[in-house]
Amino acid sequence: MISLTTYAFVAMMLFSLGVIGVIARRNIFVIYMSIEMMLNGVNLFLVTFARYHFNMDPQVITVMVIAIAAAEAAIFLSVIILLYRSRKSLDTDVFNILKQGENS
Amino acid sequence: MSPDILSFIIFLPALVAFALMVTTKDVNTIRNIAFLTTMIILALVLKIYIEFIPSEGMQFVTNVPWIETYGINYYVGLDGFSLTILMMIAILIPTSYLLLWEGRTKGYWLNMLLVQTGVTGTLLSLDIVLFYFFWEVMLLPVFLMIGSYGFGNKVFTTIKVTVYTMVGSLLMFIAILYLGVAYHNEFGVWSFAYNELMKITTIEYSTKIWLFLGFLAAFAIKIPIFPLHTWIMETYKNAPTGAVFLLSSIMAKLGVYAIVRFMIPIFPEVYIEFSSYFVAIGLFGLIYFGIAALMQDDIKRMFAYSSASHLSFIAAGIFSLNEYGINGALYLIIAHAIATGALFLLVGLIHEETGIKSIKDLGGIAKQAPILTFIFAIMLFANVGLPGTNGFVSELLIIFGIYEFNHTLGYISALTVVVGASYMLWMFQRAILQDRPEGSATLVMRDLKIKEIIGLAPWVFLVFLMGIYPEIFMNKFEPTVTHYLNDILQIGASK
Amino acid sequence: MNTSLLVWIILAPLIGSILNAGFYFYHIKKEKVSDLTFSIIGTVTPLISFLITLSLFLRMNDEGITFKQDLFTWLAVDKLHIGMSLLGDNLSIFMSMFVTFVGWLIHIYAIGYMKGDNGFGKFFAYFNLFLASMLILVLADNPIILFIGWEGVGVCSYLLIKFYYGKAENVIAANKAFIVNRVGDFGFILGVITLFFALGEVNLSFSSIESNIANASSELLVLSGVLLFIGAMGKSAQIPLYVWLPDAMAGPTPISALIHAATMVTAGVYMVARFHFLYSGIEEIGLLIAYIGAFSALLAAIIATKQTDIKKILAYSTMSQLGYMFIAVGLGFYSTGLFHVFTHAFFKAMLFMCAGGVILAVHHRQNIFDIAKHRAQTPIIKFTFLIGVIAISGVPFFSGFFSKDAILAAAFQEGEYLIWGIALFTAFLTAFYMFRLYFIVFVAPTKHEVKYEYTSMTITIPLLLLAIGAVAAGYLNLPVILGGEHLVDTWLAQLKSTPIHMSHSTEWILMILSVAVATSGIFVAYKKYAKFDIYHPEEETGLVGKKFYIDELYDYLFVKSTKKLSTFIDKVIDDKIIDGFIMNSSNTFINIGKKISISQNANVRFYAAFMMLGMTCIFIYLYIKLGL
Repeated sequence: MISLTTYAFVAMMLFSLGVIGVIARRNIFVIYMSIEMMLNGVNLFLVTFARYHFNMDPQVITVMVIAIAAAEAAIFLSVIILLYRSRKSLDTDVFNILKQGENS
Repeated sequence: MSPDILSFIIFLPALVAFALMVTTKDVNTIRNIAFLTTMIILALVLKIYIEFIPSEGMQFVTNVPWIETYGINYYVGLDGFSLTILMMIAILIPTSYLLLWEGRTKGYWLNMLLVQTGVTGTLLSLDIVLFYFFWEVMLLPVFLMIGSYGFGNKVFTTIKVTVYTMVGSLLMFIAILYLGVAYHNEFGVWSFAYNELMKITTIEYSTKIWLFLGFLAAFAIKIPIFPLHTWIMETYKNAPTGAVFLLSSIMAKLGVYAIVRFMIPIFPEVYIEFSSYFVAIGLFGLIYFGIAALMQDDIKRMFAYSSASHLSFIAAGIFSLNEYGINGALYLIIAHAIATGALFLLVGLIHEETGIKSIKDLGGIAKQAPILTFIFAIMLFANVGLPGTNGFVSELLIIFGIYEFNHTLGYISALTVVVGASYMLWMFQRAILQDRPEGSATLVMRDLKIKEIIGLAPWVFLVFLMGIYPEIFMNKFEPTVTHYLNDILQIGASK
Repeated sequence: MNTSLLVWIILAPLIGSILNAGFYFYHIKKEKVSDLTFSIIGTVTPLISFLITLSLFLRMNDEGITFKQDLFTWLAVDKLHIGMSLLGDNLSIFMSMFVTFVGWLIHIYAIGYMKGDNGFGKFFAYFNLFLASMLILVLADNPIILFIGWEGVGVCSYLLIKFYYGKAENVIAANKAFIVNRVGDFGFILGVITLFFALGEVNLSFSSIESNIANASSELLVLSGVLLFIGAMGKSAQIPLYVWLPDAMAGPTPISALIHAATMVTAGVYMVARFHFLYSGIEEIGLLIAYIGAFSALLAAIIATKQTDIKKILAYSTMSQLGYMFIAVGLGFYSTGLFHVFTHAFFKAMLFMCAGGVILAVHHRQNIFDIAKHRAQTPIIKFTFLIGVIAISGVPFFSGFFSKDAILAAAFQEGEYLIWGIALFTAFLTAFYMFRLYFIVFVAPTKHEVKYEYTSMTITIPLLLLAIGAVAAGYLNLPVILGGEHLVDTWLAQLKSTPIHMSHSTEWILMILSVAVATSGIFVAYKKYAKFDIYHPEEETGLVGKKFYIDELYDYLFVKSTKKLSTFIDKVIDDKIIDGFIMNSSNTFINIGKKISISQNANVRFYAAFMMLGMTCIFIYLYIKLGL
């Protein structure tokens, strides 16, 4: 049998790649996709533990997470459209009006 | 008479202020009603003064639970100390209204009313948290007045004075909380009344010193005591006349009062132990501020230093541990409030009429405004401590007191006789008496109007009455001081 | 015995002052009030005081009683009980007699002198107030009430010196007078306090102090004696607190006559006499007082020989004569010193009034050479001035001779030959500079056509009355060898002064010596100044002419250094150090905030990274803590 550790490792990889993607990439879409990847990594963790401990509760949580991710997608994409309209750019570093320092 | 008269006196100005805020927009109506309010309060306070019996303890007491869970009560009452200061406030404020009559905005008058509430509340509170509440309340309207109606660098000044005072208040608050917890640990219930807190016995001596200093921080900043005095320079220079008057004549005295009411009864051993330091600092402040006042060019700054000098002297008197000193300090509180208050109001008047604040540029006022000069001179001599005025009686008693406490310090304290005279007379000469230098235009200065003279006349009368026949005033509060001192020294000796 | 009259001696001029002040305000605000009103109020009230004093004096003389009046309890705190009590014993009635009489005459004089002045009413208000304060001083029954009068005369002196306040130098002179006086008052107050505690906090009335004085330790008594005398130094212009007196001449002449000649400056002498029970017990301090008196007399006389302002010469001569008085009271001869106070009041007030008359006659010049250049003929003034100068020089048959001679005899009797020698030499100088003054102003040849100048009767009549006093007052205390009865000494027997008791031959020799000294002084002055060329006047140069640079020294030592200290405190300590500390601490907070705010860079990814970091830390913590 493939051990729990292997699945956990894969899920960890997914999650970490997601984190790195959120932090290191500037394109909003890429950040979004990384967030989704993080969520999938967490889902994989949950399902793995459900399978290996014969418990239904993590699977319930997984279904909830998928639903919430979908809702989040809707909102996220709307906000991206609004941001693009205001600044004509998809680069997150451009949105820095709230910066403390020289401006305020 | 119903004992709630004190609450009425405390809250009436605030209620009137709120009512006026929502009803009228006319400055004159607001001002007239505000003045009427202060006169009503004066009448009530006179009634209390007459009904007060000197040898009993707290009178007119109201003690109502407020925040029950923590034992904070609405506890107000009056004894000899608070009575004298209350009389002083009640008499001073209507006259200041008369001298500030023209040319103010609505907000000015509303703030003055609110300050009166705060000040009276601070004075009459016997529950320490209630006291703290009013202590903060009295500061806020002043903050508004300085920020909106001040001169020069007013915003910076406001922030400086508010933050400085608040830091002190916060230190005091920490001490209050500690006391409350200690009381609860010892007795099982919560209480913040001053006579309850006196009974705590479980605090270690070294902690007591810290608590004492915490309280002292707040009051030392207000009075001010060297070296926590630097806020007064900017503040007195940039604040509007009403605010300066209130700060120096009334609020500073409350710092002294608070020391007497709360700090000393709760920490008598610390008080006795450290009294020599505080007398010394008080005397040091007297001389230091007096000398600094000499070369000032801005007239309001000079008076700030002068006021600080006398207030330090009052503080030194309080710390001298004997009846002469404390009675003298109380008397000087009243004398100083009248004299310095009048001088600040007159100086503010001069500033507004001529637009000039620098002593170098002033001059020749005596010829144009003889009545103003006359009253100015009387108040000046009361400040300097001329016999025949109340300033002398008070300074004499304090010198007696400090001498009894420590001979050397007593000798130093008599220097007030010389120090005060020098800067006052020199300022009087340059700013009021002598003509302006050759070639410059004559300053146009109006003399006092009738209502201003009527306002100041009772003060002039009081200055002389208190100087010629001090006993009729002394016997109202002297028994309180005697009891108080006996209690303190007894408790201090037993601990 | 109790009487209710004593307080009216004080109240009459006080009420007069208040009335005049009220009328004066009315005068400047609404309508004119005539000078006559002010004058009448101003002169009737001292007369009332004098008459009351006189009636009390006569009763005391007949019945041998003293008067007391307890008005009310002034202050009662702990063991300090001070009553507003007045004492009319021999000493105070003695002082009060000549204070009210001379005061009354000078008030009359002032009507003529201040005529036409805008501040006429104000002047009389202040003047009456001064008289009231002086009377409080002499009639007080305890030192605190005395101090009220003491400071009261100080403040009236200030108000009157700066009467013409438009000119800065008048106000500066007034400030100087008040502040130097205050230094003296500092000493006085401490003296009273030391005495109070040394005696064990008893009642402070004079009789009570006298009876309790044995309880106090002698060191404390010495200390209080010195401190009280510091007050006298300031008030009576002795070394080192004398610098205000010459400058005080900036005030109008009537006040120089009353305040700085006859009354206020003698308050110090009165005070020492009043505390005779204290000073008799501490003879070293008495000796110190006598030495200070002697040196002050000498210094003043030396400086006066070179002064050219008529009033300043008289001011220095006052200081000099005060020195004599202190020699007497210092050595325990209280009634002798007070006798000189009495005679001095007459001739010095008269001299000042003459000087005022002369100044008016030559249209406000004060330099004696200028006066001579514009000399006017003023026969009565010249006559009375001559009488005054003769009296002060100690010529026999005039009052000054008897009183001054008694002091010299006293010093000699005590064996204080140095003091006696200084006093004798000073007498020589006194005769010299006073006659210098007389000769230059009235005698030295002038090319100016001397015309008769009318002087009003309000000026001349008081002068003549005082001239009578200047001659006659001496006979009140005639020494036995001349057939007299020592009236003043007998009257002031309560002071237990040392009697002058020497062999008749010694007394005659001393008398002849002082006459010789006076005559030689007059002679030298005559030789030098009777025919002096006033068109090459003397200037105030040289060490003596510059008053030994003492004013400059005081200015440097005290005034300038205090000013520097003040600026230092203000600019350096307050602004830079203390306030700097406060501002620095607040700036530190602001800077820390600025540094932290760098992390608020509105960069989403940065925030996300930090969140991850934070969460990682939390998880590690939980892992360790909860041992998962």
